[in-house]
Amino acid sequence: MIAENTQTQMRKGILEYCVLSIIARGEIYASDIIAELRSAKLLVVEGTLYPLLTRLKNNGLLSYNWVESTSGPPRKYYTLTEAGKGILSQLDQTWQELAYAVGISQKGANS
Amino acid sequence: MEKTIIINIGNTIIHIEESAYELLKAYLNEVKQYFANHADDLEIVTDIENRIAELLTEQLEEQKKKVVDAGNVNFVIGQMGRVQDFDNAEATTEEEPVVNASFQAQPTGKKLYRDMDERVIAGVCAGIAHYLDFDVKWIRLAAVLTVFLGGTGILVYALLWIIMPKATSRIEKMEMKGEPANLQGFQKNLDEELQAVRERLSEANKHAQPVFARLGNFIGEFVEWLGRFISGTGQVIFKLIAIVIVIFGVLFLLGLIVGVAAFQGFWDASIYEYFPFSIVNEGNRGVILFSAFIVCFIPVLALVLFSIRVAFGKQAINKTLSFALLIIWLAGAAAVGYQAAKISSEFKQHAELTQTTELKTLPTYIIDIDKSKYFSREDSIAYHIDANQKNQVVVDDFEDGPFVSPNNIRININKSENGVSRIVQKYESQGKTFRSALQNAQNISYSYSSKDASLVFNPRFQLRKGTIWRNQEVWINLEVPVGTKLVIKRDAYRYVNNYGTWDCDDKESDSNDYSTWIMTDDGLKCVAQLKEEAVQKKKLNQELIDLEAMKKSKVADTIYQDSVSNRIREVKQELGINVDENQ
Repeated sequence: MIAENTQTQMRKGILEYCVLSIIARGEIYASDIIAELRSAKLLVVEGTLYPLLTRLKNNGLLSYNWVESTSGPPRKYYTLTEAGKGILSQLDQTWQELAYAVGISQKGANS
Repeated sequence: MEKTIIINIGNTIIHIEESAYELLKAYLNEVKQYFANHADDLEIVTDIENRIAELLTEQLEEQKKKVVDAGNVNFVIGQMGRVQDFDNAEATTEEEPVVNASFQAQPTGKKLYRDMDERVIAGVCAGIAHYLDFDVKWIRLAAVLTVFLGGTGILVYALLWIIMPKATSRIEKMEMKGEPANLQGFQKNLDEELQAVRERLSEANKHAQPVFARLGNFIGEFVEWLGRFISGTGQVIFKLIAIVIVIFGVLFLLGLIVGVAAFQGFWDASIYEYFPFSIVNEGNRGVILFSAFIVCFIPVLALVLFSIRVAFGKQAINKTLSFALLIIWLAGAAAVGYQAAKISSEFKQHAELTQTTELKTLPTYIIDIDKSKYFSREDSIAYHIDANQKNQVVVDDFEDGPFVSPNNIRININKSENGVSRIVQKYESQGKTFRSALQNAQNISYSYSSKDASLVFNPRFQLRKGTIWRNQEVWINLEVPVGTKLVIKRDAYRYVNNYGTWDCDDKESDSNDYSTWIMTDDGLKCVAQLKEEAVQKKKLNQELIDLEAMKKSKVADTIYQDSVSNRIREVKQELGINVDENQ
């Protein structure tokens, strides 16, 4: 139970970072984000992504454009805003630090 | 074959099978419920719907189908994930403030609803019990007790029935019981889920529902309850009533049988001496008794049989037999009717018999009533009145009991034209023919005694043995010459006709047990009243003389003259002096 809880917490933090990273590569559709997350084995269900995207958008990190689709309704294509880019670079740095911290924690500072 | 529904999801028209539609609808409701507390619920749900639409369209293209089936929907649900899976990934929602107003109205406190699940009548008591956290039985006890407080309880109950909404949806039931409206706790039951959402969405309207609409609901519910009551609890009550009717009915029938037997057997001889049985002719008594018995017995029997049927659900009697009973009853009723007509025909003819006795002419007669009861020889024996004991008087009571035929005499006092005092006894009776009427009149036995000045009348006449009641009457006409004084004893007042005897008591000496009368040319007059009138007349005459004197004294004063003249006219009118209008 404790393990599960920790896993969830870890995933949650990283999920947000990953989503921002994926969008940073270029304008992208939600289901493509999911496909990437799936292949990265980070996300199982699609329903989880929408609240996350909405929240990031409301915080001003994302914006989206409506793009006509051939196979259905218009799609929301997400891009990073300037604020989003700023946050992402901060997160990149944090991630570096965390990775280093984790590496140090696991292997020891001297190795 | 399956019914297809066309839906508009994410601005896309999709054909969907009914079962698949219900599945999708349930899923979307689940999602909506889940995000209800979320700040951006509408946007998120729209995104999800758009995505679902896209997935479904893609699948239709892939599988070259036109209609979405349950398999497609299940695939979509698998892709999107169930709400339970959302939890793991999305903890941040918890931190966000709840903004959405329409779904915010999720009170943690309790709400007053009628509990339709634990209801006896309309769930009012159970609802109150939930609200106050009491055991429902105490509330019900209190409610029943208030009914005895002049029925206020019934009124209050009806009002609460109208005012309190009933808890139909799960959420309302949770609110009623004060449980937190836990969305994850929702059952997956499809219908219930749909119902819950519909109720919630219409919640705002519902509270603004006008009173008369609620009243309509109330009436509908009341009728429904009445129906349930009659078929349920009511049936028990009806059965109890029916059993009571059966018991009392049977007792009544037994009583009737015993009564008739007693009538016919034990009392046979004497019962017919009492009014109104004395009307019945001797020969017909058995027939009348029997038919009257049938007429009374059969309806009660029918009621008992019907009650048995209500109480025990069994037909106690077959159709033929009940038809036979009806026939017998009709026959009995006809016999009673015939006998009644026959008896009433015996009152058709009228006969009178007069007997005149001259009296010694005396200046004064005393009219009195003999209170002692007249006994025949048989009566004396029956009542054990010992002949050896002299001066024994049995006093009759004056009241007419229910079983006493009307046999009081009437006394008239008239002016004698030829100066001779006499008593005319007039016996009257009805009968089928004049002859029988006359015979009935002859069978009246009546006596009075005159000794010197006192005339003592028996208050009642008797019928000779074997005579039946045919409205016999006895009139005493006392004729006395003008100027004869009559002293009427108080006992006799009630038998003397039309003279206002009770008003003639001497006002100065109230203790007298008689009043004095005098025969005048205008009929019988009360002496005390005459005296009073004479005094009055004397007074008026004196006043008239005074007034005439006054009129002469002040000739000049016209107003005075007028008022005196008016008074003179009034006095003259009272005295009966003819007033000339010209004067």
